[in-house]
Amino acid sequence: MGWTMRLGGALAAAMMLPVAAMAQEPLRIGVPTALTGTYADLGSQVKRAIAFAAAEANAAGGIDGHKVEVEYLDTEAKPDLARRQAEKLALQGNKVLIGAIASGEALAIAPLLARWDALYIATTNKSDKITAEACVPRMFRVNRPDSSDAATMAPWLKGRSEETWAVMAADIAWGRDVAASFGKAAAAQGKKVVLENFSALGTNDFATYIQKIKDSGAKGVWVALAGRDAVNFAMQAKQAGLLDSATVAGVSFVTDNTVASIGDAAKGVAGIINYSSTLDNPANKAFVAAWEKAYPGTTPTNFEGETYIAMQVLFQAVKAAGSVKAADIAKALPGRTYATILGDQQMRREDNQLVGPNFFGVVEVFDGKLRPVVKMSVPAETATVAPSPACKIAG
Amino acid sequence: MTSPATLTATAPARPARAPGSVLALVVLGTGCLLPFAGASPLLLSLLVQAIIGAMLATGVGFLVRQNGMVSFGHALFFGLGGYVLGVPMAHGLLPPEMAVLLALLVPALLAFLLGLVITRIPGVAFSMLSLACAQTFYEVVLKVRTLANGDDGMSVTFPARLFGLDVGLLQDPRSMYLICWVLLAAVLVGLWLFTRSPYGLLTLAIRSNEERARFIGYETVVPRAAVYALSAGVAGLAGVLATFYNGFISPDMMHWTLSGSALVMAVIGGTRAVWGPALGAVVFFFFKEIVGDATEHWPAVIGITLIVVTLCAPAGLSGLLARLFARRAA
Repeated sequence: MGWTMRLGGALAAAMMLPVAAMAQEPLRIGVPTALTGTYADLGSQVKRAIAFAAAEANAAGGIDGHKVEVEYLDTEAKPDLARRQAEKLALQGNKVLIGAIASGEALAIAPLLARWDALYIATTNKSDKITAEACVPRMFRVNRPDSSDAATMAPWLKGRSEETWAVMAADIAWGRDVAASFGKAAAAQGKKVVLENFSALGTNDFATYIQKIKDSGAKGVWVALAGRDAVNFAMQAKQAGLLDSATVAGVSFVTDNTVASIGDAAKGVAGIINYSSTLDNPANKAFVAAWEKAYPGTTPTNFEGETYIAMQVLFQAVKAAGSVKAADIAKALPGRTYATILGDQQMRREDNQLVGPNFFGVVEVFDGKLRPVVKMSVPAETATVAPSPACKIAG
Repeated sequence: MTSPATLTATAPARPARAPGSVLALVVLGTGCLLPFAGASPLLLSLLVQAIIGAMLATGVGFLVRQNGMVSFGHALFFGLGGYVLGVPMAHGLLPPEMAVLLALLVPALLAFLLGLVITRIPGVAFSMLSLACAQTFYEVVLKVRTLANGDDGMSVTFPARLFGLDVGLLQDPRSMYLICWVLLAAVLVGLWLFTRSPYGLLTLAIRSNEERARFIGYETVVPRAAVYALSAGVAGLAGVLATFYNGFISPDMMHWTLSGSALVMAVIGGTRAVWGPALGAVVFFFFKEIVGDATEHWPAVIGITLIVVTLCAPAGLSGLLARLFARRAA
């Protein structure tokens, strides 16, 4: 395969660098992520983005001469397993942990970070709890939390004519958060949520849920499903005619990979977009070009872009700390502004949340390919809501 | 008619007592020295998890050995130990010490009550009923999010001291390894003594021929329920230890795949000896760690290994070792 050879080439080039440049202690990253199960598709995107960023950094001589080494372990998106795998990675010396998929995984890892002398950077975990009541000094988030998605969705919802809505969400922390915030936003605009459906992670048969939505008479459906759940639901909704009879939109639902799996039926489906390769700024354009070189025929997806941002932030923090030790990096991370593919973003000291923009878009043909295209940008200061008073990590 | 006493002859073969006891003491002593011999925190942490798995497998294997019953739902008692400890602790419903005691008692008590009904039914039907009971509880902890956050699981924070003991000791790999190792040894010795007691022999007699045992005047339901309760109690203790060590509970603790793994461990280790499943669990755990690091297709490798062990050593690793020792002694 072309891209594997190119990646291999980049790694080989990195290995041929002068020994002195690489003689320093390596930056050892541990990735406890879903390589199998419902969220395996998301996990493989996280893995690809981290491998890309690491190869890119090593090809440039490492981060301040520190070679980037990455270990991956499968969590199946199960919090209990994530906790064990994260511990294993940390005790093996990979103390910079990054990239678990489900919010429950991050929430399970958080209380143990201090014990392991590790740090964790969330790249796809959306539950508000991560930067609120469950926040810890060693946990950071670069992706947009659910409250940001809610703030981005609200103006879109205001302009919609559908008065009755149903929620179809995964029965996990993130899905519950989304349902609650959607309910609040709908109520604020005089709309009514007539049904809340919560499906277990890894549900194969959505027929009952789809029937319930149809029976409820809801004119719109707000979906919070990801990975295989999102694809299963979308395919079955399409077969049942739900995509034609109601407005279907969502969060983590309108992603490049879901669109690729559903095909033409995804056309016109709206939703939150946290990152898009179509974003027009020089840093993003350079990233997309490098990505297309490394992985020919593909463009970076939503989760790949978000994970790449985490690596950009991490590398800059390592440089600022002048160290690859988790404790030093954790100290250097908050309060700084980082240059990312979404522009400059600050890691907020109050809750360790990266303050960045958010987007809303629609699936349509772009450059001859069906993909989510940004239609509305919400600036960082509006998109990332004020820190929760429940988080008390700042001095 | 065969009296229970005469059934000792049909009890599973054991290696000669004296060398067996010496070997057990050597294994126990060597195990205790491990943390002081420079074992890394990672190895000790893995061993803690392996020993907790060993305890669960011991419960499953003991049920097979004494009752001849295969449980597909022992994770229920493992998870119950964790939830009865964790939920009241997190919600402040009970004094912490009371929660610990209840967590140790409730799994055994529930199993006894369930056992009075379901141990009457032999064979596959029992296995299916045990699975159904476990999945019912699994669905409850999964769906009732107010209990412990459903699928996300819940972190459990313990008070600094319990029964005067520093709880930090239960979360440090070095001390927790020693605690688990000694507790596993105590459980194995306790179960071994049970198997040699008159009551233990009676349960073997019931396993061999329940009708005969009944005809010679023994009540046969309570002993079977008692063995079920004992094996569940051991699984519950494993769940309590896991919760203390991880400070976390989640529905996965009750999922049927965990019951399945425990059964696989028991099969690999062999159930003729009380210690067989524990040996199988430790071997299974480290085999899975090594194969899991090497390939994402580890379940296939485990499956093939299970087939090979079942075919080549039907009495499991413990049977194989017992045969080796018997040959040496001869």
